[in-house]
Amino acid sequence: MRHRRRRIGEVLAALVAVFAIGGLPGGADAAAIKIEPVAAGLSFENLSRTVVWSGDEGSAKIRANLIGARADLRLGKGATVSLSAGLSLTDFKALTFSALPVTLELGSPTLKGFFLGAEAVVPIHHFSDFEISGTGRIVYSFAMSKTWTLQDFAVEGQAAGNSSWLEAAAGPRVSYLAFGRIVPFVEVWARWLHAGFDMTETLGDLSGSQARRVRGDLSFSVALGADARVTEHIGVQAKVGFLPYAGGVDGAASVGILYKF
Amino acid sequence: MTKPFGRLAAGSAVVLIALWASLGSGAAGVPRQTKAVPRSSIGAAQRPLRAERNPLRLGRRGYASDRVMVRFRPDVDATYAEAVLRSYGFPAVRRIGHGGVYSVRTTAGATVAQTLFMLRRNPDIDLARPDYRVRLADVPNDPYFQDYQYNLRNRGGILDISPDLQLPMTAGADIKATTAWDSVKGDANTIIAIVDTGVDMTHPDLADKIVSTGHDFANDDDDATDDVWHGTHVAGIAAADTNNNVGIAGVAWNCRILPVKVTDATGEGYYSWIIDGITWAADNGAKVINVSLGGDVADPLLEDACKYAHDKGVVIVAAAGNGGTLGVSYPAAYDNYVLAVAASDYTDTIAGFSSYGPEVDVAAPGVWILAPAPQWYVGSGYLPYLFASGTSMASPHVAGLAALIRSAKPDLSVDDLMKVIRYTADDVNKSVFPGRDDHAGYGRINMARALVPTILR
Repeated sequence: MRHRRRRIGEVLAALVAVFAIGGLPGGADAAAIKIEPVAAGLSFENLSRTVVWSGDEGSAKIRANLIGARADLRLGKGATVSLSAGLSLTDFKALTFSALPVTLELGSPTLKGFFLGAEAVVPIHHFSDFEISGTGRIVYSFAMSKTWTLQDFAVEGQAAGNSSWLEAAAGPRVSYLAFGRIVPFVEVWARWLHAGFDMTETLGDLSGSQARRVRGDLSFSVALGADARVTEHIGVQAKVGFLPYAGGVDGAASVGILYKF
Repeated sequence: MTKPFGRLAAGSAVVLIALWASLGSGAAGVPRQTKAVPRSSIGAAQRPLRAERNPLRLGRRGYASDRVMVRFRPDVDATYAEAVLRSYGFPAVRRIGHGGVYSVRTTAGATVAQTLFMLRRNPDIDLARPDYRVRLADVPNDPYFQDYQYNLRNRGGILDISPDLQLPMTAGADIKATTAWDSVKGDANTIIAIVDTGVDMTHPDLADKIVSTGHDFANDDDDATDDVWHGTHVAGIAAADTNNNVGIAGVAWNCRILPVKVTDATGEGYYSWIIDGITWAADNGAKVINVSLGGDVADPLLEDACKYAHDKGVVIVAAAGNGGTLGVSYPAAYDNYVLAVAASDYTDTIAGFSSYGPEVDVAAPGVWILAPAPQWYVGSGYLPYLFASGTSMASPHVAGLAALIRSAKPDLSVDDLMKVIRYTADDVNKSVFPGRDDHAGYGRINMARALVPTILR
């Protein structure tokens, strides 16, 4: 619980920092920062990361689907912050807990939880029909827990798992503005992931627990996306990203449907 | 702490120790149950084995290159389905399973991918998939494993002991060794002390597994060579050299043996020698101690020795006894420190000679178990192996499992390790005694459940 409070605190601190970004250029004072809601809608994101859990030699995958509500706020100087929250579905397939009295391995259970997220886009430079922005994002998925009954043992048994993950990313985005209603962009991010999974096992009067961690897994992604204004008030944003790693490529995709005020 | 041996020398009662399997003592008067393996049976024993090393691992996408599997929609008639498949020109079509599933051989020159692509375009076909390979559980190449070691893997059929001893086996009445070995084969640094009559250290199926010449407390020297046969047999069950193309497979594939001799040449010994043996084994690197002998009298000094080893992190496993009556032998009956093992057979039935009581923890195969024996004992004209029965034979199966668990989980406490062995057992007599009972304890050990990861879905 303390771990989770710390993580939520980190996310909120990041949100504060994101709000402050809009005021940084030119050192404008707080009174000059206007926060204006510009859109609200739904978002969906699918993310896959190949990681190495501490103590392992081989890699494993974390796959997540995030479904939630999103609100876009415009700050001064053209910066935009997107806040999102919703349901998180994460799969930690093949993660093994070998320090428990009886080794447990996750088959393909999907853990349900919640997520909070914030993403900021801050225009930095305009040239010709291109705009270079600084972008950053933080997502925290938490409250993912599940209980399993351990069957076929001589005594009653149960396993309980609790997990969370946090990803922070930042990097430049280059947008092409000449099309008007559709703004394609390419974005390069450095992505840092921290994940944890705590498993407790109970078999009669035998019990054990083990925590698995991914600490600061760094990856890079290249994403192609587009913001499209479908009608006066309806906008769609879609993005597809590739995260190369030694031996393969992970993927990320997101889509958002927004009502623009 | 006063040495136990000194106190005994001051005049404590000395209790003779009966060796169950060899002397056949006990209230039930169980006769000596051993049978040598004649060399004339070599031809039958040496049936060629398939080389089953390097099994495919889960996750590797191996599939047959010359056939695929096809399933038609439920509303498609079988006659029509087969006509459709023949119309593609497949050289062979075979119905498998149920529900409109066929195995078809691909046409010459066509790849599996091409064949699947073509089939999946047919609207009558529900599913078309490669025919994937299965993974065979790791099976050792020891020549007598397949036909005689039902205790490790029982495929049913007849246990062919001799022309006048043909025993029908129940498939699955085994300790699931092959499945467990896929996950854990043990560590050479995990040592099993065999506190017994000694070990034949020159036996071809044991020589490479011996840590040292051990210690002989009967003759007070550093040579624990077996002068009976019993300890050699027990050692072989626990940790014979496995996958060496010789003889049998031991439970603890990679673990090694420390011989500790606590009987004289007649097979008799004293509590003081066992106390010394357990203490010495714990002080000399043993992680597991097997004691396939004991007495009928409780003794606080013997219990102290067991506690000493337990507190040093050593798992002690002992035979429950062959009396066939209520009353578990000592040290097996020291519940807090020792796992007491009853004997089951090739049908997962608890042996009638197996002593019982609340101290019994688990059972393991102990009827007609094939294991090494000294050549001088079996005589020329016989292979250096014996079939033998007794809780003496059951106990080293559990010692081997304890060694494998210790290899995989070096940080697990002794008490937790003992619980893992208990709680992962199969309740083989649940139709008569559901749950834990005095005859089988928690049940016949199941190595796979103890060592193979349990998948959470």
